[in-house]
Amino acid sequence: MNTDKKPIRLSVFIRVHPWPLLLFLLAALPCAAQQIAIRMEAGAFRIEGWQPAAPPADGWPSLFQVFAGEGDVPAMLGSYSVDGGSLVFHPRFPVAPGMRVRAVFHPPESAPIEAVFEVPKAAAPAATTRVAHVYPSINVLPENQLKFYVYFSAPMSKGRAWQKIHLLDAAGALVVLPFLELDEELWDRDSTRLTVLFDPGRIKREVRPLKEIGPSIQAGKHYTLLIDRDWPDGRGAPLAQEFRKEFRVVPPDRTPPDTATWRIAAPRAGSAGPLVIQFPKPMDYALLQHLLEVAGPHGPVAGTIAVEREETEWRFTPREPWKDGDYRVTVQTTLEDLAGNHIGRAFDVDTFDPITKSLPRETVSLPFRTRH
Amino acid sequence: MRLSYSLSGLAAGLCCAAVLAFGASSGSMQTGKAPLKSAGPMAFGPDGILFVGDSQGAAIMALDVSDRTPARSGGSLEIKGVNDKVAALLGTSADQILIQDVVVNPISKNVYLSVSRGRGPDAVPMILRADAAGKITEVSLENIKHASVSLPDGPAEASRQRLETITSVKYVNGNVYVAGLSNEEFSSSLRSIPYPFTEATKAAGIEIWHGSHGRFETNAPVRTFVPYEIDHQTSILAAYTCTPLVKIPVSDLKPGSKVKGTTIAELGAGNRPLDMIVYTKDGKHFILMANSARGVMKLPADNLETFQPITRQTEITGVPYETIASLKGVQQLDKFDDANALVLIASGSSLDLRTVPLP
Repeated sequence: MNTDKKPIRLSVFIRVHPWPLLLFLLAALPCAAQQIAIRMEAGAFRIEGWQPAAPPADGWPSLFQVFAGEGDVPAMLGSYSVDGGSLVFHPRFPVAPGMRVRAVFHPPESAPIEAVFEVPKAAAPAATTRVAHVYPSINVLPENQLKFYVYFSAPMSKGRAWQKIHLLDAAGALVVLPFLELDEELWDRDSTRLTVLFDPGRIKREVRPLKEIGPSIQAGKHYTLLIDRDWPDGRGAPLAQEFRKEFRVVPPDRTPPDTATWRIAAPRAGSAGPLVIQFPKPMDYALLQHLLEVAGPHGPVAGTIAVEREETEWRFTPREPWKDGDYRVTVQTTLEDLAGNHIGRAFDVDTFDPITKSLPRETVSLPFRTRH
Repeated sequence: MRLSYSLSGLAAGLCCAAVLAFGASSGSMQTGKAPLKSAGPMAFGPDGILFVGDSQGAAIMALDVSDRTPARSGGSLEIKGVNDKVAALLGTSADQILIQDVVVNPISKNVYLSVSRGRGPDAVPMILRADAAGKITEVSLENIKHASVSLPDGPAEASRQRLETITSVKYVNGNVYVAGLSNEEFSSSLRSIPYPFTEATKAAGIEIWHGSHGRFETNAPVRTFVPYEIDHQTSILAAYTCTPLVKIPVSDLKPGSKVKGTTIAELGAGNRPLDMIVYTKDGKHFILMANSARGVMKLPADNLETFQPITRQTEITGVPYETIASLKGVQQLDKFDDANALVLIASGSSLDLRTVPLP
């Protein structure tokens, strides 16, 4: 910004709400230059009363720039046009509500003109977003619990998770660094589900963090997962209320899930009733949504999946009635239990123990025949 | 022993050859709008090609940022309050932007920032460039030479909610390596993608395992890694999410293979490695690593291959390291030139981007 000449400072405080309705607001009253004024118009900045000629050698920014925010900040990104005989600056993005914006014009022949605009704050959105559910649903977790899925009722903001999620012990004291605090944050595409991994260094046997400070959660103790109410959702509103999930911890589970222990209730031929599979322990809620598939004599069977009874039951309702015949459920061995143990393989494989060595198969097939 | 930092080594040699080699690298590129859905970790490849990890789009995008003018030596950079300045450029406040990654173009020494304008579902990904004078401009994605490759198990192949968050991207000897972490299954892969991309290019997965003291094995996600070269053998130094630092020869990173890294250091509890660089000073070679809790660590790299792998839990933690007391709050780290690193460093509520002498 050229500061050789003292600018003529004109301030107009625009108090129009809502922000998108800001149209043709006079930003700077003509003063020394009398005819020259800067208007903010539908999100663009227009110089009135000055006839632009060819762009100067250094480009339009050498004459006209708009600054958002206070202090030594660069001019906003944007483009210029000559529209109806006026020079217009179009910001790359709409100026955010609540911002103070300063437009500075350096007429070639006279003193600079400056106009300040205060974009009205948006009305605070209603606090309606909630924690819809946290999986696992069960309130008894193994000491080597691997993750939580936190489902929200609407999209959330990113980059704040580790300030808003806490683990408390039975006395209400904060557990220090129980989770893997990845800056990237493991959201889904819609920003409605966050995956919270417990620190794997405090789960995995024989690595230094577990030796130094022990597991994040300890068998025999009670804890509370706390999610703060002031976590902004995707619109900037806080949650409708804080969320707490209390749970008790039992010894670590290092037993890989075994499909031989699953109970399959075959559906009746001709019915559209569900195929039901029951597990002896809860399984990973998210993976149950897509790692089990049903196929019949005529190929894959389309249908809907429901996970019930604290993730110990998988129900598949076919789109078309079951036919008389042989079917099978194909299970990807990457399916995990709550502790990250795969089908046939523990989370951390004990290579001294042949029983827990890696299972090379990628799928397990569970045949069943429809009932009559 | 000869050690050189792969990317900078490439860069030095490329100053003259860049234009000649460029045709081979950008041949598969098309000009038009680069469809980035998100802009995360970045890395420079040959000839000033910028690779951008796009977690939302489950893809790696190669951008020709047309920035091949070699920098004059002895440059430096300082942008105080870079988060405030970026926010001002984008017409918003600093709490409404996220700076996802910062990398240096090894040819021009211009600094590239991957930025999210907004934190909610309507956030816009952007690539910004800061020059030696500290001026920040946008790298327009509207009409740019680009090529992309999809990561396997993308949205069409699994559930809509499954997403692999890319945590580190590096270019090594004709391949782009991508570390990521799934938001569902724990057993994530390191991806290997030949570059230049072709229509048939697939991102092959490599299972990275961590052998704990000769007994326990885990399919261990890599959080961040850096390539380096010792005696003509290129390896990567990788930090697992469960904290051990391992080395893996690049020759082992074959598509579909199962690789177990050799543990050379354990960095302790409550700490996340964020970024690593390899450099040479006074004829000796070092690794500099930024961490979430334990500051910036400097490890000797000269005899990396001679350190005995950690196979027992002892008080000794493999390669010795020192903590650089003068560097606190470093969130991003990249090599700037042979004498300086670039850091994104927290200073109160402000973030500063600046070069610092390599310790």
